[in-house]
Amino acid sequence: MIVNADVFVKDMPGQLVGSLEPISLVNGNIVGVVHNRDNKISGRIGVNITFEVGSAEDLERLKEIWEKRDVMISRMSSVTETFPTDCLLIGDISPSQIDKLMAKAAKAIDMRSVDIRYSSKTGEEKSAAMVSVSVRSKEDVLKFNAFMMSACKRSNITYIGSVR
Amino acid sequence: MMRIIIAGFGTVGQGLAETLHKKSNLLSSGHDPVRIVAAFDSKSFAIDTDGLDPMGLVTRKANTGSVGTKKLIDGTDVLDSVEYDVLIEASPTNIETGGAGLRHIEHALSRGKDVITVNKGPLALKFKELSRLAEKNKSSILYEGTVGGAMPIINLCRENLQGERVRSIRGIFNGTCNFILSRMDNGSPFEQTLKEAQQLGYAETDPRYDIEGIDTACKVVILANSIFKRNVKFSDVSITGITSVSTEAIALANDHDMVIRLIGEVSDTVLDVSPRLIPKGHPLSVSGTLNTAQILTDLAGPITISGKGAGRIETASAILSDLMTLMGRRR
Repeated sequence: MIVNADVFVKDMPGQLVGSLEPISLVNGNIVGVVHNRDNKISGRIGVNITFEVGSAEDLERLKEIWEKRDVMISRMSSVTETFPTDCLLIGDISPSQIDKLMAKAAKAIDMRSVDIRYSSKTGEEKSAAMVSVSVRSKEDVLKFNAFMMSACKRSNITYIGSVR
Repeated sequence: MMRIIIAGFGTVGQGLAETLHKKSNLLSSGHDPVRIVAAFDSKSFAIDTDGLDPMGLVTRKANTGSVGTKKLIDGTDVLDSVEYDVLIEASPTNIETGGAGLRHIEHALSRGKDVITVNKGPLALKFKELSRLAEKNKSSILYEGTVGGAMPIINLCRENLQGERVRSIRGIFNGTCNFILSRMDNGSPFEQTLKEAQQLGYAETDPRYDIEGIDTACKVVILANSIFKRNVKFSDVSITGITSVSTEAIALANDHDMVIRLIGEVSDTVLDVSPRLIPKGHPLSVSGTLNTAQILTDLAGPITISGKGAGRIETASAILSDLMTLMGRRR
């Protein structure tokens, strides 16, 4: 899990390192650190840290270590990584049909964002729609692609998946 | 002495004859000399145990439309009438039955002769059977030219990447489709672009073999069986061609900084040919008639190779590579 935390450390040499080192002790991985010297309260300065830990148990161990090292936690929230994927649909399709399809997809897959762009149909060409979604895991990318591929096959719509 | 028979004397067969003439010094240095003891096309054949002049065959074909002066009844009759070491099978692909090419290959392998084929049909239909036949008769069947023309994908995976586990291969394996799709990137409609491809000689008069994904599917089957050791046939491939790709769809992809390309993909579980969205700048977003393949390996990560996927001399270069492999084994 990826976690974002605001912590306050004493404004003394070595304190910042002392707040980051425990993340390694729980086998975590630091993604980003913002050291904000303007955010100073009662002799402590604010540090915003984004890190990845393997489990909730590791996070609890980290909190215990920070407490022992006098690192104050003012806010902690999980940050979810998202995975984008796109597909292009070609055929006799209408926005309402795509909306229904995406509603069904949303029931099966946890989608964080959905963006749909339609072509302006000209002449005798079939309509096209670009569907761009962000999901929560690589597995969900595969599930979404399989769902769309299967739904398009049933509706005689050409499905064009993406290579990333 | 390496005695060869050329079965099929169309574009590739003639390109091979020219290449053998051009590379005669290379082929004779440190190796047994190569001698063409027979060649045949769909109508005629020529035989000379002392060796046929490669350029003489090309000239006769150009002047008369036939490679030989004698009427051909069945190619296997020619195979039975002269001593040879290697059959080079370059007759037209037939994906429904394997055609004459399949009979030629089976005939040669069952008699312990080595075979080099650029004819995809027999391999797409009967890969395992032909491999077993070769093994049983202690002969070899090599087929580098069947996938990607001059792009050495099969030998690269089998020889240079021996220590790697190849996780998947995906690529552009049909230059005609890639030419059409990359012209459509600039707003040219499908039908118009197809006509242009035919005028330029990139697409056949009957282009279904290319644009319906059949050619790419044959190559995917060959890669699946040879690199991934699967036992699959042409009918196992999920195929979607490019006929439904519209200029509207291309424009939508372009708005998202992507292009559409016909991609063949193979892994332990995937066997697919379909148009795909490719981000611009991705190694598979190439334009024109080039073939490109991305090999995903466990240690080296992605390896990308690119080359001319068709053409008389390009395909002949792949045959030459296989021929030199066989010559090396005989030393």
